[in-house]
Amino acid sequence: MKLLVWFIPLGLLASLLWLLIRKRAYEACPCFFSYVAFAVAADVARFVALNYPRPYFATYWITEAGYDLLGILVMYEVLRSVLGNLTRAWWARLIFPAFLVAGVGMSLARANVIPSRLGGIEFYIVIGEIAVRFVQVFVFAGLVTLVPIVGLRWRQYPFGIATGFGLYATVMLLTTIKFSDFGTRFKLSWGWTSLVAYSVAVLIWIWFFSVPEKISTSSRELSAPSPGVLKQYKDALRRMR
Amino acid sequence: MFSIILTWLIVAWGAVSCIYMLRCAWHRFPRRDVDDVIPFLYPVDISLAESLLDPAAEFEFRWKLRPPQFRETQRKRMRLYLELTRRMAHNATVLVAYADAEKNSQDPRRVSLACAMQEKAVEVRLYALLTRFKLRLWLLLRSEILTSKAVLPHLRMACDIDGLQTYSALKVAAAAAFVELAPEELDSLTRSL
Repeated sequence: MKLLVWFIPLGLLASLLWLLIRKRAYEACPCFFSYVAFAVAADVARFVALNYPRPYFATYWITEAGYDLLGILVMYEVLRSVLGNLTRAWWARLIFPAFLVAGVGMSLARANVIPSRLGGIEFYIVIGEIAVRFVQVFVFAGLVTLVPIVGLRWRQYPFGIATGFGLYATVMLLTTIKFSDFGTRFKLSWGWTSLVAYSVAVLIWIWFFSVPEKISTSSRELSAPSPGVLKQYKDALRRMR
Repeated sequence: MFSIILTWLIVAWGAVSCIYMLRCAWHRFPRRDVDDVIPFLYPVDISLAESLLDPAAEFEFRWKLRPPQFRETQRKRMRLYLELTRRMAHNATVLVAYADAEKNSQDPRRVSLACAMQEKAVEVRLYALLTRFKLRLWLLLRSEILTSKAVLPHLRMACDIDGLQTYSALKVAAAAAFVELAPEELDSLTRSL
């Protein structure tokens, strides 16, 4: 049963990595590609170290820190690619730092209310992890809010990435809150919830990346329109004036 | 306590977003083809919008009218501009939906023209959203500022987007994207935007 728990996300992540390579998604989303490659490597490393407590302990916390760092970079990439096409306003550059500050603030406030039993570097890694979850929910929910308001197209890679992370982060934040209520009795459900949510997130990414993304920007290298079409276009402009 | 309530609110926001995305994926929106564009557009009088945003016109009103009259006139002008931005936002929504369907075309030129039109339409939506928010707030607050300062000309720009210029660019982009239409239909489109 434990092997199955290991193999489901690892198998799905390996399929996603293969899909990303096949679709050349590393050109469009390099940080997300790095995240998936790192996730596969981290899962393999944890699996190898599973029967050796001390190496497993070190591997677990090092990979958790790596997940935090790459998770933030992916969110920056998602926000930059969506907002970059939307607005050139100076304040658009402040959105990501604002999310980051809000995420860290929420995580620290939470740690203050519910003191952690962890100490040292592990404590800071967990604080960072919860902050990343908050940032992921902010980015995902913010982008989804823009869909009906601005009329953004949701079927594109950055939305797929944000949706996967957003779903996983929402579920994990929810279980974190419940964990603080129930204590260690909640451990079993925590493990299963985490596994199911992460697997669903990877399935969402596979679904989004399995369809080729439509051209999102106008090409400047297209051939000129024919004289007839050009005349029609000029007529239309004249009527408009 | 406050942080826990805030955490619950954030989780709820995330959950609602998940449900919305699920709904988007579940409901396949009917594709808007060329027949579903022209009858759904509302004409926007750009010259009227230009006159509403003209600082000289506003100055003239302030000079000629007594403060209570000026205030009433300003409110009427604001309501008028609110209606124009509503129409702009609606037209942009229709064109975004059409461009989405056009992106499935095999012809790269049509796809490119649809993309260019969609970019402009999204900018118009963003401008209209912010401007309408400001206008509604001003109308709601019945602020004294309306009697002392020129306010409508400030609405020309929102979020670094020049509203009227962007809408004109959208009209040009739409004319280019619909160039395959018959001349009378194209004429109808340009008059409807």
